[in-house]
Amino acid sequence: MPSAEEDLVPAARAVELTKTYGRGEAVVRALDDVTVAFERARFTAVMGPSGSGKSTLMHCLAGLDTPTSGQAFVGEKELGRLDDAGLTQLRRDRIGFVFQAFNLIPTLTAEENISLPADLAGAHLDRAWFDELVGSLGIADRLGHRPSELSGGQQQRVACARALISRPDLLFADEPTGNLDSSASAELLEFLRGSVDEHGQSVVMVTHDPHGASYADRVVFLADGRVVGDLQAPTTDAVLEQMKQLGS
Amino acid sequence: MARVTLKGMLARKLRLTLTALAIVVGVMFVAGTLILTDTLHRTFDGLVGTAYRNISFEIRGQTTLTGVGNASPNSTADRRPIPDTLVTVVRRLPGVGYAYGSVAGYAQFVARDGSAIGGAAHSNEGFSFDPNSQLSPLRLVRGGAPTGPGEVVMDRATATKYGFTVGDRVRVLLPGAPQTFRISGLVTFGDDGNLAGTTLAGFSLTTAQALFNSRGHYDSINVLAKPGTDQVALQRAIADVLPPGVEVVSGQTIANELYRAINNALSFLSTALLVFAFISLFVGAFTIANTFTITIGQRTRELALLRVVGAGRGQILRSVLAEAAITGLVASAIGLGLGVLAALGLKALLKGFGITLPSAPLVFEARTVVASIAVGVGVTLLSAVAPARRAVRIPPIAALAEHVEDTAQAHPQERLIGGGTALFIALIAIVKGVLKPAIGLVGLGALAGFIAAVLLLPLFAGPLAGGLGRPLANLTGAPGSIGLRNATRNPRRTAQTAAALMIGLMLVSTVAVLGASLSSSATQSIDSAVSADYVIGGSGRFSDSVFPTVARLPGVSAITAVLTGQFDFKGSLESLGAVSTPGLSQTVNLHVTKGRGAAALAAGELLVDTTTARSDHVHVGSVVPVTFAQTGSTTIRVGGIFKPNSSAGSYIVSARYFLAHFDHPLLDAVLVRTAPGTRHFGATLNRALAAYPNLTIDTRAQFEAAQQGSVNQLLGLVYVLLALAVLVALIGIVNTLMLSVFERTREIGLLRAVGMRRGQVRAMIRVEAVVVSLLGAVVGVVVGTALGAALASSLRNNGITTVSIPFASLIGFLVLSALLGLAAASWPARRAANLDVLAAIAVE
Repeated sequence: MPSAEEDLVPAARAVELTKTYGRGEAVVRALDDVTVAFERARFTAVMGPSGSGKSTLMHCLAGLDTPTSGQAFVGEKELGRLDDAGLTQLRRDRIGFVFQAFNLIPTLTAEENISLPADLAGAHLDRAWFDELVGSLGIADRLGHRPSELSGGQQQRVACARALISRPDLLFADEPTGNLDSSASAELLEFLRGSVDEHGQSVVMVTHDPHGASYADRVVFLADGRVVGDLQAPTTDAVLEQMKQLGS
Repeated sequence: MARVTLKGMLARKLRLTLTALAIVVGVMFVAGTLILTDTLHRTFDGLVGTAYRNISFEIRGQTTLTGVGNASPNSTADRRPIPDTLVTVVRRLPGVGYAYGSVAGYAQFVARDGSAIGGAAHSNEGFSFDPNSQLSPLRLVRGGAPTGPGEVVMDRATATKYGFTVGDRVRVLLPGAPQTFRISGLVTFGDDGNLAGTTLAGFSLTTAQALFNSRGHYDSINVLAKPGTDQVALQRAIADVLPPGVEVVSGQTIANELYRAINNALSFLSTALLVFAFISLFVGAFTIANTFTITIGQRTRELALLRVVGAGRGQILRSVLAEAAITGLVASAIGLGLGVLAALGLKALLKGFGITLPSAPLVFEARTVVASIAVGVGVTLLSAVAPARRAVRIPPIAALAEHVEDTAQAHPQERLIGGGTALFIALIAIVKGVLKPAIGLVGLGALAGFIAAVLLLPLFAGPLAGGLGRPLANLTGAPGSIGLRNATRNPRRTAQTAAALMIGLMLVSTVAVLGASLSSSATQSIDSAVSADYVIGGSGRFSDSVFPTVARLPGVSAITAVLTGQFDFKGSLESLGAVSTPGLSQTVNLHVTKGRGAAALAAGELLVDTTTARSDHVHVGSVVPVTFAQTGSTTIRVGGIFKPNSSAGSYIVSARYFLAHFDHPLLDAVLVRTAPGTRHFGATLNRALAAYPNLTIDTRAQFEAAQQGSVNQLLGLVYVLLALAVLVALIGIVNTLMLSVFERTREIGLLRAVGMRRGQVRAMIRVEAVVVSLLGAVVGVVVGTALGAALASSLRNNGITTVSIPFASLIGFLVLSALLGLAAASWPARRAANLDVLAAIAVE
């Protein structure tokens, strides 16, 4: 868990981040000179239409993709300076991921999936923390099952447990409720909210669902690779309103 | 990470099993070969040990030929016989406990039905029986030792097999006329029934001397030292009383000579078999590399996810390699176990092709275990390296759906450059090698060509497969077209699958062309050299009383005796042929290019073929130093040079000259020309030679057919050994098809949903399989034929005078490949056709 001093350093930060694909005439600017900071112990949502660059921004901040220019920071670590081994270690120890789908290794049980980061690091699993996570996510009775034997909602919850088991500085969620029905979605979002409120977890969630965004403390809006809006303490209606304005 | 690896492997059991199968086959072959040769080693070494365990010394004639003893173990033909009075002198020496002479020669039993017992040259041993049971390795198990000239002892195995017992009379074929003997007793060699398949005929010493044309001489004297004697001093004492040209060696020395000879023979056998085993493994390596590449492609998302969650590149690499190592280990263990079966199978196979090996319990040494496992695991790991490296390069972002890409065209540039260079080297080496000729160059070119084919195949696999498959696709309609497109859409993978079959067929075609060329060359050379009407031969040598018997027959216009032996020509050991000169022109055609032919022979001169004349730098009139084992060194004049002919050999002298320089040689063959108008001579011959059941009497045509038969037998053996490699290649095709069906589950489900019938799905898979098989087969046969022709052509000075391409066989191979491809598709086709449509479409 971050200490009092570290509270001042943003969980993640983009500085003049640019990402382009292609060359010459066919150049695509996925990210165009984006500068934004994501605060600690806050739930931030990133929204925007398709092609707005929201996923690209997250990929760059998580070390999954390299920007064409500019800098990306996780805490104080500048990702551009890290080699593959450094990035790998960062992902293992300091960042947690939840994707829209395919979060789990199909051949491992739920429990083995959750303890995977620790196994990869060769470190001991914090059993108490494991039990607490699993308990609050309500998946204690499904630990011995493989992903194919779990419902969509259960799979996403297992993914959350895995993402949080190493108490990362930051949890990235890319459309985590995209494949879930409304009740499973609500459960998941409640949990994320709870982790921020009770444990001071920093969460950045990419979403296109205004209702989901309403769980966040702040919403950053992207369009055409640029930050075009920033909303604090959002409600579903406020988010919808902002999106309508951006649409025009 | 270990858990991920192991659980992943268990989930992919089926795929890994098929992969492992390739290794199992290869390791089985390796283990079988090692077990077989170890068993043979122990058997033969044991026999040597038994034979020589008690002898202190052996006195024998020295040999003047270098290199003798490396080829045939202790052949008596290569040493001078020693005077039998020597034994009296030796017995008088203090320290000598016992000394007894020994004589050996050709003796072959005749069964009750008149057929000859035994066959190969060295498996009919006649010898003198040594009554000292301490010295002799032979044990009398029934009856008594042979005493008079009419008695013989027989080995127990032969007696049991052919229904003889003590007191029976048996006919024996000898260097002279056949005779009948009374069986005085039965013997065993040590504890075995006989000496590894050899029949043993023992006579009393004086009888043996008479029978083997050795009156007044022994081949050797065996000496037993008195207990407590200083061996070194005794050996010196014996040496002092020996006349020049005679030596005394310890029993250990003889044993060592034999061990060395056995070693040479066995290492030849094991090398030959291991070559085939490695060919299987090589083909297996392709299968494994292919399977791993495909599996890793299919696991891209999973591997990327592991990277996202924090697995390092090294961990991924180790995981893939560990999977390979474990697969290799399990497969090797199974292959090792099956190796015992393989050893038995190899023995039966060799026996079926005329090579009988002695029976003995199988020997399973630690070395076999280590070698098999090392080879199996090693090959699997090596094959997995390239796919593993590809796995490591998977970026973490590939875990997200948008980024799944097949990095299909890996370095097309490198492939083109590498393949092009290899092709260039191959063409130059082969052309040069064929023109010179130099087989070494052609061999090198063949290797380069082979590498070029493997590297370049993916580049034209697409259009080639398309071309080959078009008629098939037209035949089967839409399903066929889709199947064809499946085969061509990933040329690299198609090429890799087909490559294994290509290698197998390349080898088979090369062997086929070489075999056909060998066969027709043999026929041609016989046609060219032999003008006799009948060829009388036998397995090995036969009695010299055959010649006068045939010569006396009515209708014989000319008769020629043929003998062979070894001699030293200008310092190197060579094979010498001899023919009797009277009437030679009627039975033998020597195309003399310089000097004289029959006349030179009659004058006691040497004939040499053109190739040898050139390489040994001799011409008509050269006087060259030669050495014979039994008469020593002398010189001979080269009287003529003739066109090379593989039936005639490279060096020829007259029979009279030969007989003057070899002690009691035996005939190799007799050639007979009949006078015009003679009828039913074959029947006449058969009747006259009824007493010699070990002879074969052929017309010239029959003789040619027999030679072809031998070549075909050898060819058959090679085909069977290569078939294993082809089998592995087919396993690879089954494997790839299964994986590709799995990969295209969604696609196949869609086709079925849209209305494709089960039968059509099967047809689609089958077309794909046949196209891939044909691709490998066609390229393999074309390249293999070209290489075979080049190799055969470069051997034109070594006996292969014509290049013959067995089109029928080659087309047969192609058809067979297509059919095998069809068979390989049956399981994957059924799998594909029976996919649950709904489940297939729902796969994410």
